[in-house]
This record gives sequence, structure tokens and C-alpha cells, in this order.
Amino acid sequence: MWCGPLELVHRPAWPGPGQLGQKVSSQTTALLRNPWRKEKPASARPVLEIYSASGVPLASLLWKSGPVVSLGWSAEEELLCVQEDGVVLVYGLHGDFRRHFSMGNVGGPGGWGKGMESGTLSLPQPTTPLSRRCSRTGFWMPGSSILSLVLGWLSSQEPTASPSVPTWVTSNSAGCQRCQVSPDTPGAAFTAHRCAFCPWDHQRQKLWALGSLRWSFSTTIGLQSAPSCWTTVCQDRVAHILLAVGPDLYLLDHAACSAVTPPGLAPGVSSFLQMAVSFTYRHLALFTDTGYIWMGTASLKEKLCEFNCNIRAPPKQMVWCSRPRSKERAVVVAWERRLMVVGDAPESIQFVLDEDSYLVPELDGVRIFSRSTHEFLHEVPVASEEIFKIASMAPGALLLEAQKEYEKESQKADEYLREIQELGQLPQAVQQCIEAAGHEHWPDMQKSLLRAASFGKCFLDRFPPDSFVRMCQDLRVLNAVRDYHIGIPLTYSQYKQLTIQVLLDRLVLRRLYPLAIQICEYLRLPEVQGVSRILAHWACYKVQQKDVSDEDVARAINQKLGDTPGVSYSDIAARAYGCGRTELAIKLLEYEPRSGEQVPLLLKMKRSKLALSKAIESGDTDLVFTVLLHLKNELNRGDFFMTLRNQPMALSLYRQFCKHQELETLKDLYNQDDNHQELGSFHIRASYAAEERIEGRVAALQTAADAFYKAKNEFAAKATEDQMRLLRLQRRLEDELGGRFLDLSLHDTVTTLILSGQNKRAEQLARDFRIPDKRLWWLKLTALADLEDWEELEKFSKSKKSPIGYLPFVEICMKQHNKYEAKKYASRVGPEQKVKALLLVGDVAQAADVAIEHRNEAEMSLVLSHCTGATDGATADKIQRARAQAQKK
Amino acid sequence: MAAHLSYGRVNLNVLREAVRRELREFLDKCAGSKAIVWDEYLTGPFGLIAQYSLLKEHEVEKMFTLKGSRLPAADVKNIIFFVRPRLELMDIIAENVLSEDRRGPARDFHILFVPRRSLLCEQRLKDLGVLGSFIHREEYSLDLIPFDGDLLSMESESAFKECYLESDQTSLYHAAKGLMTLQALYGTIPQIFGKGECARQVANMMIRMKREFTGSQNSIFPVFDNLLLLDRNVDLLSPLATQLTYEGLIDEIYGIQNSYVKLPPEKFAPKKQGDGGKDLPTEAKKLQLNSAEELYAEIRDKNFNAVGSVLSKKAKVISAAFEERHNAKTVGEIKQFVSQLPHMQAARGSLANHTSIAELIKDVTTSEDFFDKLTVEQEFMSGIDTDKVNSYIEDCIAQKHPLIKVLRLVCLQSVCNSGLKQKVLDYYKREILQTYGYEHILTLHNLEKAGLLKPQTGGRNNYPTIRKTLRLWMDDVNEQNPTDISYVYSGYAPLSVRLAQLLSRPGWRSIEEVLRILPGPHFEERQPLPTGLQKKRQPGENRVTLIFFLGGVTFAEIAALRFLSQLEDGGTEYVIATTKLINGASWIESLMEKPF
Repeated sequence: MWCGPLELVHRPAWPGPGQLGQKVSSQTTALLRNPWRKEKPASARPVLEIYSASGVPLASLLWKSGPVVSLGWSAEEELLCVQEDGVVLVYGLHGDFRRHFSMGNVGGPGGWGKGMESGTLSLPQPTTPLSRRCSRTGFWMPGSSILSLVLGWLSSQEPTASPSVPTWVTSNSAGCQRCQVSPDTPGAAFTAHRCAFCPWDHQRQKLWALGSLRWSFSTTIGLQSAPSCWTTVCQDRVAHILLAVGPDLYLLDHAACSAVTPPGLAPGVSSFLQMAVSFTYRHLALFTDTGYIWMGTASLKEKLCEFNCNIRAPPKQMVWCSRPRSKERAVVVAWERRLMVVGDAPESIQFVLDEDSYLVPELDGVRIFSRSTHEFLHEVPVASEEIFKIASMAPGALLLEAQKEYEKESQKADEYLREIQELGQLPQAVQQCIEAAGHEHWPDMQKSLLRAASFGKCFLDRFPPDSFVRMCQDLRVLNAVRDYHIGIPLTYSQYKQLTIQVLLDRLVLRRLYPLAIQICEYLRLPEVQGVSRILAHWACYKVQQKDVSDEDVARAINQKLGDTPGVSYSDIAARAYGCGRTELAIKLLEYEPRSGEQVPLLLKMKRSKLALSKAIESGDTDLVFTVLLHLKNELNRGDFFMTLRNQPMALSLYRQFCKHQELETLKDLYNQDDNHQELGSFHIRASYAAEERIEGRVAALQTAADAFYKAKNEFAAKATEDQMRLLRLQRRLEDELGGRFLDLSLHDTVTTLILSGQNKRAEQLARDFRIPDKRLWWLKLTALADLEDWEELEKFSKSKKSPIGYLPFVEICMKQHNKYEAKKYASRVGPEQKVKALLLVGDVAQAADVAIEHRNEAEMSLVLSHCTGATDGATADKIQRARAQAQKK
Repeated sequence: MAAHLSYGRVNLNVLREAVRRELREFLDKCAGSKAIVWDEYLTGPFGLIAQYSLLKEHEVEKMFTLKGSRLPAADVKNIIFFVRPRLELMDIIAENVLSEDRRGPARDFHILFVPRRSLLCEQRLKDLGVLGSFIHREEYSLDLIPFDGDLLSMESESAFKECYLESDQTSLYHAAKGLMTLQALYGTIPQIFGKGECARQVANMMIRMKREFTGSQNSIFPVFDNLLLLDRNVDLLSPLATQLTYEGLIDEIYGIQNSYVKLPPEKFAPKKQGDGGKDLPTEAKKLQLNSAEELYAEIRDKNFNAVGSVLSKKAKVISAAFEERHNAKTVGEIKQFVSQLPHMQAARGSLANHTSIAELIKDVTTSEDFFDKLTVEQEFMSGIDTDKVNSYIEDCIAQKHPLIKVLRLVCLQSVCNSGLKQKVLDYYKREILQTYGYEHILTLHNLEKAGLLKPQTGGRNNYPTIRKTLRLWMDDVNEQNPTDISYVYSGYAPLSVRLAQLLSRPGWRSIEEVLRILPGPHFEERQPLPTGLQKKRQPGENRVTLIFFLGGVTFAEIAALRFLSQLEDGGTEYVIATTKLINGASWIESLMEKPF
């Protein structure tokens, strides 16, 4: 049984009997009085008025722009006013202008050539911080040459379809059209926005359908006449346009246009007057010129039911009215003074409309707005029906009775209770009462149901309390927002679908900050999601108060917000900057602890130097680099360098950057700082990296040496000059002797000379560069041993007394496995190293003798460790004996 | 798999799991098959976080190394670049992407910055016209990588150089971020101590970041009691000295990279009879070294001289265990024996490996040159003849020993003498330039800038004061059963660890004077905790100190800290974090500059 009571939600006080030009609604209403009429002079300017759902005026402004063909609310509760020329003006809830965008000049006489371009129209992605939830908005635009237009956008953040902003409907003299936007399954990876755009070109008898982004099609179909009605439907996440021309229905997609026939359609239809897609996009209703209504799935694959109302007049509106998860399906059809609810039943329900009314389909019912009332038509929820049905014996109904009797102190209470308990239905009874309470709008009724639930709970052992507690909380919130002054008459289902976050956003939009905060506190929402967020919005609103001085605003905001966790001062500052209050923005940014947020905004406000010091404070070098590169482009070189000079950290980072990216700038930086030491190093690097020719290298080194002198680094300067000399010399050696000398060290140059038999030149070089004697000896020793020039080595060893002793000679000979030569030198080794030398050449016995002679314990054990097995047995004994003797003494 | 990370007082597996989760989440964002293009430097550290199997589970089919021109062909849907935020890498990526566009099927490109996303790099990609090609541009905040149950490293090779030579704080910023991540997982650290300029900066950044994060109040019970931030330049001495612990020596001689060491294969060849050693393996033997290996955990921190006896004892225990099989009579006994076999075999394998390694090391440590070098080092550290030209160093130069060895010794002398006399310094420098080449003048400049090599100013040598006050030189070292941290260098007690030790008891107030001599400020900060999280220490319960070495830490220092953790009346257990695991050679090398 489908039962449709008309429930009065409010008695709104729409002002006076003025002409209701255009009305759009979700929870709020916008009126444009005195809309344009072609015949009227433009002198009487229309007034745009915005009212809350309870009729409280929120804003009123004189319309100064072009003729408006349509108004609509977005999910963020922004008012979109579509002008004839395709410009869309966006206003806030309080009549504050937000922005505008153009869909292209579609309404002008220029025809559709221009209209085509609007196919690529760019809808700004909603970016307001107040709500990240945006769903869809549809509106249509009638115009002289435009049949209709669909437009809408979806934001990728939308978790679920928002119920309170359904597609909305409006009427106009040209007839009633309803348009919808392609719905997208939540979670689908769609791009920022898309739109459908479906204009009719009278001249060329063509229909253009345009979309944007992925859904882009521009199909041109030759049709004989203008469509009588059309709508968008969605199948498998693809949007199609369904349009009716005479008795035919066409389904348009991005590629083609195909004729379709609804199954089981009654014969005799010559035209479709209305079509309606349900809120969930699953169902479709068609109203024909015979007064026949076809209801079926939106895929046009199945018929659900049909109804013949026998009214041939075109209805003003037709919308679906159903409740989620309910099996009942119904369509509400409105004519001027008549409202008819039809469904899968032979009879319809009819209501009389006293005034012009507009229907707004919602998640669980239909809102009916008229000049003096705002009503809500919905299917009675199951729980309520069970309890309140006449003579109902449902457990919930009995429990409610029981509780009433209990209050009257009647024993009947016990009887009822027993009756429920005997059937074991007490938990269901409680649940039913709780559920029904949710659907009640009158607090007294809510209370009485909740009292019954609470009463029933007393007789249950383990009834989980959360559903009861949550319902009490929800109702408290709902009652608060339904209040006349607040004017957000949400139903329980809508509230649940909307979520508390969105509701809070709505409150914030209405600047009802205290209520929002109270709700947060009441529900104990985490600060970051709750109170802080609202305070931040309050602050964003606060910065727009132009009559208050910057200091006062900043102080007021800081006082209220303090260090509240989760408050982004940079967002508030960005808002202030958006309002043109740069100074205030800077003051607010001072409170922002996150430099990552501070710096980009400061850069945007062209406070680069401040940004630089903030970036440095943060220690985030990447941030510093970003500012630096910004500054580099912004300032002239001199100023940039001066700025760097005052910021040592930035300077050193920039140096690093230059080292890898802009070597020349690095030089300039060192020059500016008179950093001669680094300049010297710079030129040394250059002498290796940049210069190929020897002259160039020497010249670079000369510059380096000069720099070192300036840096008072005598050593480096001298070393550099030596290197210049060496380079020239090596060049000459290469020319004269061939072979490779360049880039050898001095030491290796001398070695190479000796190895190639150029002893004289080697000596000369060693003298010229003052190689210390000791090292020279080592050098020669190694080189001659490498050559295995033993004769020369011996000569060398006798040239004078070795400054390095003779042990190295022994070692090096042994390394070349020349024991014979080694032994020659072993005898010349000084006494301290004699044992070592003798051991090296393998003369263990003599080593033992020397060690014993030295009476050196360490030497003796060293020799002992070299004694191997049988051969050295005697020697070992000798040492042991000597040791023993030494110990005795 | 990484169970050894959870053995310590602080379960570092929590961190590892957290970073693994982050990686998985990123990989799953790029649906479909993937190829990863690696910044080569990252592969080592990543290996400690995720093996290839994890990547494979997430549809990573190919891996390439980032290099210029075209990407190798791969039939995958996604190409992901894993890179450090460096401009030069951005240029290569752009080249890759641009050459990719011209051919074949369209792919999805993504970029994962490790450890931080960089505006600068994104700007560069934008300038090169490829920024729009990337679908996901994200950061993977892999700052501190768990190496062992008590060891974390950022593996940031150039951290010391950047901080002290180039005044580039990037790695300090990453360190602070890493510490914030740690605090998010292990609770706010109530007390921060620090010594040094960089330490001060990191502490400042942490305090600042904490303010930025207010709101996400951390309600984790703090695991760490203290944080000690230490600048490497407070103690330049310890890394210069040759480490004498087992692990330290492995690192000194073969170099441990991301907990792996490559060893000459000869010693590890399977000894088969009749094989005659014909085909010796030529590929280096690669071993992972961490405390997951029981034996290694036992010997890694011992002085090398004490390792031999442990190994021989172990050998006896294991062969005795294998002998048990003869005693196993009943089926039950045999079954029990068999069940222990895998463990025993693993132990035997591990013993064989370490015996081989110990032999390899012993060959080095018993060489005369090693002994001479050590003698010189120890003379310097105990303050003997630090003010004149050392003949051993002279000889090393004359014989063209490796430059790094020479530089290490000269720097050690300079540090132990609070700078060298100008004449001595110039002599060394001249010798080095003449022998190894003039180009090393740049390296010498770098060492001077870092304070490793410097002329003595004011003519005063502070080192003896520091040495005496902090008891840096201990003459009576027990290498087998140490009683003091000085065992890790056989005499020298690492200054950094001494500072940590004195901080925990009796506190730094006792050494104010020395702290003033050491470079940089010392400080203490408190991070207030909500009352519910304040710790009530049980009697006898040790404190946990996180000690962070900014600029690197050596294995010997780590060993010394572990020694302190294990002291019965120590009162403090340490978890060690660092920018990089270093040794004297790798450290000096990072400061060297080769112009060609």
C-alpha cells in the first residue's frame, strides 16, 4: 500500500504577493522578481532575493547584469545565475558575488557557430575551502533559439551523492523541462567536471550535443522538428541523452543516435510531453499527450507500471517520489492547481494546489514550494506506519501503548508488555520506536516514541544502547537546525545521507558559527574536524569585514583561535589576501607555524624577502631554494646578490646551486664577497676542467695564484706557482722525450725520468723543486729497484750516507727476490734494525747472535718467532739459554 | 625476516613495517604492471626495507638503473622513478620521458622522491616540459633506515661534507624529519641534549616541527627517555683512529656497505678432497652482517684480539654437539638430534665464515706496517710527539702509500695537537702535493675547512686537557674482558661515547670546562608530555637514550655504546642513529675532491 500524506513542514512567510519570477530551491530559495519580459522596458530592474527554507530573507540585491534565463543552486549552496548570453554568475548564500564563467555566447543571435565553442567551456573547479563536497547541479536554459541546456559538474571528492541538492526543476512559460546531469557512480575516477550541452538549432534543424572532457561528443542529428522534451540518463556510468521528437524516442551517445522504444508502451502516442528520471537515475517516467504515464527502468528495458490519468493537458512538472530501499515507486505530476501521485495502483492520490507550486524531488520525497508554503510529500516510513496504523498490533505500537498506560499508572501497561514479551518481540518493539522517532518532525511525538523505547529497554537485558543514544543525539541536532530561525528542514534520511560534516558546512555557509560549534561540542567531534574547522571558517568570514582595521581583525582572530590544533592560518591569510588585504594576510601568516604553507603565499603576495627569511627559519632547504629561484627572477642581479649577502644560509645554498648549474655566477658571488681563497680554488678547478691548452691552464693557475696572494695564503700561492712551472716543464719533457708527463705529480715525474734513464734531468728537477733528501732517496731506491739496475743502486747507496738508513735497501731487494743484493746492504744496516735486516735476508743464526749481543728481549723473541723446526733448533736453544742467563742476572 | 630488529630494547621493526607499508601503499596507487627505474644510490638502502619479493607482489616486473637517453624496453603499464631530489637526476628523467613519448604505447609515469619531494626539482621538470607527464608525484620519507636492533642510519653519504663544508643543512632537515617520524611511532622524547652547531639546529627544527604538528597530539607512551644529538665535529678524532673491534676491522679493511661485505673468495672455497683447488671462485664472497646471526652478534663488538678465543670455544661446542649423535640411542633421542641439525649446521656455517674472515683480518693486523701505523696513532692519541714532523708519515709519503692513509694520519696528528705548527703543516702539505699531485690542494683545502687539518692558533694545545678530563687515554686496557670503552681502540676511549657516558652519569655539569673547549654550543631542551604519558620508572629499570651522530658514526663507537648498554650498573641503554655509517677512510674520501 502506498500512502502519501502531505506533511506540512513549515509555514513560510514568503513576502507579499509579488510575482514569483523564478524560483529555485534546495534548502534555500532564490527569487528573481520582475524578470525580464521581452516587451517590458529594461528600466525596471529585477531584484534577486534569497530566502532560507523557512522564508527568512537572507539577501536581496538589485540585478544589474544581463537577462537571466535560469537560476540554480550548487551543492556548495552557491547560486548560479545563467544569463541569456551564456555567462554564469556565481553568488554566495548571502548574495555575495563569487565569480563568473562563460559557457560561450549561446543565446545571442550569433547562432550556433558560437555555441559550438562553448562545448569546451571551462567550469572552474569549486575551490572554496568551506566545503569540499560538491555534487551536481542541473539547470536548463530556455532561450529564443536554445531549446535547453544541461550543465553540471561533479567533483572528485564527492563520497556519495548529496541528497539535499537534487536536480531541480523550474517552470517557465515556454513549458516545463527537466534536465539532469549525468550521474557518476561514486569512486569512479572522473576528471574535474563535465557537462552536457544540448542546444537546438532552429535554422538548420539540428541538435547539437556537446560534452566536455571524456564525455565529449558533438553529434549532429538531422531532426524534422524540435524535440518536445529530453533528459539525460545514465547507463554504466556513461551519460546519454534521451529525447523525444513526436512519437519517437532517441537515445544519443557520443557516437550515435538510435531510436528506442519503451517496452509495453500503450499505443496511440503521438507525442511525449514530459519525462522524469528518478533521483537515483534508475527509473524513468514518460508522460504522453494521451494522458498516459509509462514508468520503467531508465535503461528502457523493463516496464514497471503504467497509469492513465486521462488528463491531456501537459503537466507543469513531473518528478519521482520514492524512499530509499522502499519497493513503492511513485511519480508526482503537477498541473497548475492539481497534484497527482500515481504508482503501481489503479487509483491515484490527488491533491489540490492553492497556489503556483514547484516540485523539488529529493532523496526520500518531494518538496513542494509555493508562495506561502513549503511542504514535503513522502512515503510514510515502514516503522511509522506499523506503529500508527489504525488498530496496529505491531510490537512498536503495543510498546507505545504500554508506555502511555504506564504513565497513567494503569495495569494495562503490564498486559501490553506481556503481550510483546510473549512473542519475544520486545527488541523489535524498541527498535521500531527508535526508528519511528527519527522520522517524526514534532518534538513531542519524538519524545513520546523515545520514552516508549526507553521504557521497553528497561525490560531487556542486553540491549545495545548506541542506537537509542545516537538517535537522541541526531534528533537533537535535527531539531536544532529545523528551527524556524535556522531553516534547514532536513529529514532524518537526508541528514544521515548528508553526514554531519556536510551539515556543519551548511551551517557555516549560513554563518551560524555558534550553532555549528555547539553541535560539534555536543557530539564531541574531534577538534580538527569540528571546532577548529568552524573557527577557521569564522576567521575567513572575519577577514572580509572591511570596516575593521587589520590589527583588530588579526588580534581578534588570534584571540579566538590561539593555537587551536588544525587551524590553518595560511588558509585564512589566503582569504584575506583574496579580499585585497595583503597587510592583514601577512599579520595572520605570522601565526602560521608551518613554513611550507607560509612561504608560497608570501611569494604570491610578492613578499619574497619575507618569504626567504621564513624559509630559512624552517630549515627546509628545498623551500629556501624555491624562494631563491623566485627572487632571482624577480630582482635584478645586484639586488639579488645584496639580499643573499644578508642571509648567509641562503647564500651558501645558492653557491651550491651555482656550483652545479651556473659556474660563472659562482665566480661573481666569490668576487662580491672578496672570498679570494675560494676564488683560487675556483680557478684551480677551471684549470683542470675548462682548459685544454697548456697556456690556458697556466693562465688559470696564474689567476688562482693571484687570488691566493690576495687571500694571504702564501703556501697555496707558492704551490700554485710551482705547479705552473711543473706544467711548463712537463710540456717541454713531452716535446723532447716523448711519453706522457702532463698531470703527473712532481714525484712521479722524477720517477719517470729515472725509469727512462734521464738521471741528470731527474737530479735537476729534484733540486729545482727542493725535494727533501729523504724522499729523494726513497724515490731513487724504488725506481732503481723497479729497473732492477742493481749496479746503479749500489753506486747510489755509496754516493753518500743514506738518510733513510739501509734497511729499506734490504727490504726492496727482498721484494724483488734478490737475496744476493739484499745481503750486501744487510751488513750496512744500523744496529737498531740489524736484527730485522738479518731476519729479512734469512740469516737467523746471525740475527740471534746480534740479538743476544744487544741483550734485547724483544729482538730475541722476534728471532725466536722466526726459528722454524729442525734447521733452527740450535739457534733457538742458544737464545733460550741467553734469555735464562739474562733473567738470572 | 627482520626479526633481529626487534631484539633490542626498542622494537625497530615497528619502524621498518611502517616504511614498508608506506611503500606498498604507493605501489598500489599505480595500478597494473610496473617497472621501477632506480637512482642507483638508493638500491642499497632500499634493500634493507624491501626485498624484490615485496616489489614483485605489487606487480613490479622490471627494474632498471636510471641513466640517460632511452629507457630499456619493458611491457609494463607504469614506469616509476625512485630518485633522490637532485637536479641532475631530473635532467636524466626528462630525457627518459621525452624519448619514451615518441614511440610505442602510452605509459603512466610516476615519480617517487626519497626522502622528500622537492619544489626545486618539480620546477626543473616543469622547465623541461615533462612535469605533466607524471601522474603521481610523491615523496617516500625514508629518513632513518633500521640496520639492526639498536642502529638506524640515514645512509646519506655526503651529510658531513654538506654540513661542514658547504653549510647545506638539507641532511639536518631530513634528520629532524626522521626524528619526528620516530617520535610519531615511539612517542615524544621528553629530553633533548646536544653538543655542536648542527645538533643545535636539528633540535631547533624539531621544536619547530612539533609546533607545526600540533593537533595530531601524540598519545604514545614514550619509549625513549633522552635524545642526545652529537655533531661529528665535536669528536673528529675517533673516526680517524683505526678501529680495533671485529666489525670495525672488517669495515676498515673491506668496507661494509648497507650491512653487506664483499670478501676475497679464496678463503671461502669449499674444501673438497681431490679437487686440487683448480677452479677457485673468482667472484667476491658477499655476506650480510647483522645481529640476526648469533655468532656475529656475540663477536662483532669484541676487540679483535678477543675474537680468536671465542671462535675456538665455539668450534669446540659445535663439534661436541655434532658428536652427540653417537650418544643418541633411542629413536626419540635421534629425532631430537635431527631437529637441532639445521640450527647446528647454520652455526657451523657461520663459524666457518667468521673463522675465514678472522684469518683474513689477522693477515693484515699482524703485518709490520699495520703495527707501525697503530703505534704512531697511539702515540698521537696519548700525546707523544704530536708537534713535530713524524718520520713514519714521512716514509709513508715517500713510499707513496695510499693517500687516504696519509691524510688520515696527518689529520689525526693535527687533531691530537689542536692544530699543527704552521711549519709542520706546510711541510706535510708540500710533501703531499709533490708526491700525489698538485690537484690535491683542493682536498687539503676541504680538510682545512672541516677543521681536520689546521694550523695551531693561539699556540695553545687543548688536547691534553680534554684527554685528561675525559680520560680519553687508558693505559691499562683489558681487551679480553673490557672494563672500559677504551678497549674498542685498544687504549683510546672515543670522545663522543665518553660524552654520552658522562651525560648519563654524573651529568655534563661536571665537565663544563671541556665542553666549552669543544666546538659548538651544548644545550638541553625539554619536550613537555601530557601528564598521562609521564613515565614512572621502576627501580633498576634502565633509561633508553637515542644518540644521534650528525655526520657519521664508526662501528667502534657503536661497539663502545653497546658495551655501555650492557654494563650491569650502567643505567642507560643506547639506540644509535646516524647520518651515515663511516670509517676513517670513507669519511676522508667523502671530503676529497678530484678535479679530473
